[in-house]
Amino acid sequence: MVAVQVLSPAADRRYRRAGAEVGIGYAPAHHGELLQGIFTDATGQPRRALVTLPQPGRGTRATFYPSYSHSGVLGPPERTKVRRAAMLALRHFTSSAAAAKGGRVEIASNVPPGIGMGSSTSDVTATIRAVADFHGVTLPADEVARLAVLAECASDSIMIDDRVVLFGHRDATVLESFGHRLPPMFVISCDTEPGARVDTLRLRPADYDDAELAGFGVLRAALRRAVALADPALLGRVATASARINQRYLPKPHLDHLLRACQRHGGCGIQVAHSGTVAGLLFDALAPDAERRLHRCAAELERGAADTGIAITGLIGVSASLAGSPAPDPHELEALTR
Amino acid sequence: MSIQTAFEEATETYQVPRLIRLAPNLYGACFTLMKMIPARFILRRAEARGLLGPDTVIVETTSGTFGLALAMQGVHMSRRVVLVSDPVIDERLYRRLTDLGAVVDRVPAAAGAVPGGYQAARLQRLAEVRTEHESTFCPEQYSNPDNPRSYASVAELFLECLGQIDCVVGPVGSGGSMCGTVGNLRTVLPECRAIGVDTHGSVLFGHADGHRELRGLGMSLMPANLDHRLFDQVHWCSASAAYAATRQLHRRHALFMGPSGGAAYLAARWWAAANPSALTVVMLPDEGYRYQDTVYDDNWLRSAGHLDVAVATEPVRVSDPTRPVGSWTCFDWGRRDYAEVMAGTARAAAREDR
Repeated sequence: MVAVQVLSPAADRRYRRAGAEVGIGYAPAHHGELLQGIFTDATGQPRRALVTLPQPGRGTRATFYPSYSHSGVLGPPERTKVRRAAMLALRHFTSSAAAAKGGRVEIASNVPPGIGMGSSTSDVTATIRAVADFHGVTLPADEVARLAVLAECASDSIMIDDRVVLFGHRDATVLESFGHRLPPMFVISCDTEPGARVDTLRLRPADYDDAELAGFGVLRAALRRAVALADPALLGRVATASARINQRYLPKPHLDHLLRACQRHGGCGIQVAHSGTVAGLLFDALAPDAERRLHRCAAELERGAADTGIAITGLIGVSASLAGSPAPDPHELEALTR
Repeated sequence: MSIQTAFEEATETYQVPRLIRLAPNLYGACFTLMKMIPARFILRRAEARGLLGPDTVIVETTSGTFGLALAMQGVHMSRRVVLVSDPVIDERLYRRLTDLGAVVDRVPAAAGAVPGGYQAARLQRLAEVRTEHESTFCPEQYSNPDNPRSYASVAELFLECLGQIDCVVGPVGSGGSMCGTVGNLRTVLPECRAIGVDTHGSVLFGHADGHRELRGLGMSLMPANLDHRLFDQVHWCSASAAYAATRQLHRRHALFMGPSGGAAYLAARWWAAANPSALTVVMLPDEGYRYQDTVYDDNWLRSAGHLDVAVATEPVRVSDPTRPVGSWTCFDWGRRDYAEVMAGTARAAAREDR
């Protein structure tokens, strides 16, 4: 397949990179899902799909060092999906001029693995982008998504970074675009079982019952409104309902405790990783006193940590920046390369 | 992004009610033929599951709009439809059903004298009809869980259009529309209230079975699809009060709806006015055409004793849901199951007797 995106800006980059020996790609992490379930696609067929909550402060930077003589790919040994992703991406570029045969991928990441922050999709996406970058191309998001799902069977939608989408995570299809961005929110990021790791490859797909299946359409409709009207309260209700459904499949300990704490401090609801241990308490970033309430709630959870075992892993601004922690520029992320 | 598209078949146009603002915090959900939602869903799902063979006949007991919906969907699916009905079926409905190719099997007039009335007689006749055909499929609107399930689409519409809904008011018959709509809404909005509207002489919420003048809501037998635990409050509305409210809905809002919707409007208007910060939606299940010679005819209303009957501006609150008193009453059901409410009522009655 021929890369189709080599128009002037990319061509210019390619020229600039003519002497460069490497390709660099970046991908952010996420913080689990706002909604996950089975939804009907445009043809009326049911598909497993999810809506990802992005986490701008964490991510992966991949560096691709090409080889023109060896067709294999070397990568971090514990990250087998990275090698697969690089191979698939290389295959995508075989017909382009100066295509690499193989190479080596280096990963720098601050995404903790196994807790549901999408570390492997972040690795895989950064890797695909790095290989594409070496070839002087910026791949469209749907092509990155297709390659990512090929590399890891199921993938979240972090590569689609300009829209809020209902994403078929097993076939890389976009079932619906809800809008360009989520309403401004602050999120208290919690690890509900620090030390526990979820092996996503061993996780069986949830076997939803009929009532849950009907409910997913209702949640989708509510989310459509919440994104269109930038309504974090309604968004929080959708996420909470989805988190409750998930309790039957990969339960989070102390979910009700977290939800009560969130409500006590005027939060909107709770979201979870459907394949991990993280949970996020959602707050309307534009509500009066939002940051103070956020910090008070976090402090209260810290005090209870001895009993609950819940660890606070950070505070996140979604479509909003928190005072004292400037919004990170995902394409720089210098901290990762130092 | 999607573009607007044409409908594939006529019954598809009945799926989506029109949401119309009636007061600052009250919206009417106006259906042309609400029963099309379960009828179409049940038949299409049965076909998708392979439950309909090449010669399977669709059979159901109904005198009303559910039968019409089945007959219409039967046309699209090229299916034979047999409907078992009361001896007194509206003549115009009968002609429409038969023009759609449905067979209308009327139980004899004498059957009404037995306990359970025509509804029991119809069920018995339905069982006979099923033995007369090699293969039949009965949608069983009163017990089929696909009936309430079909209303998820209505809950989706409500949420997308209105968001935070605090209360849904609607007439109750099979239980499908209210339990399905509210049950699905509560996935997102667990506090959303449900107010059921019933009529005197209906067994749904505790009255003894009796003659029901107001049609389109209430039942003589308890339907399995009615989940009492979803209801916060129940209203009983007389025919006179419902007819007057139906006409008010027409005069004030130019909404030409049937009397079961009128009864629901009566309760909803009162509740929404008393709770101005609560966003309320009222279900209006069908249109007024079938009632042009009755509810919409002053001469008929006068001869039936319904014209110029003073209608209360608020319901009488009752503590005993089994005693029909007055033309408009209400009872706080409190999301309890039927047995629990009846046991509480019996205890209260015993205390009074002492």
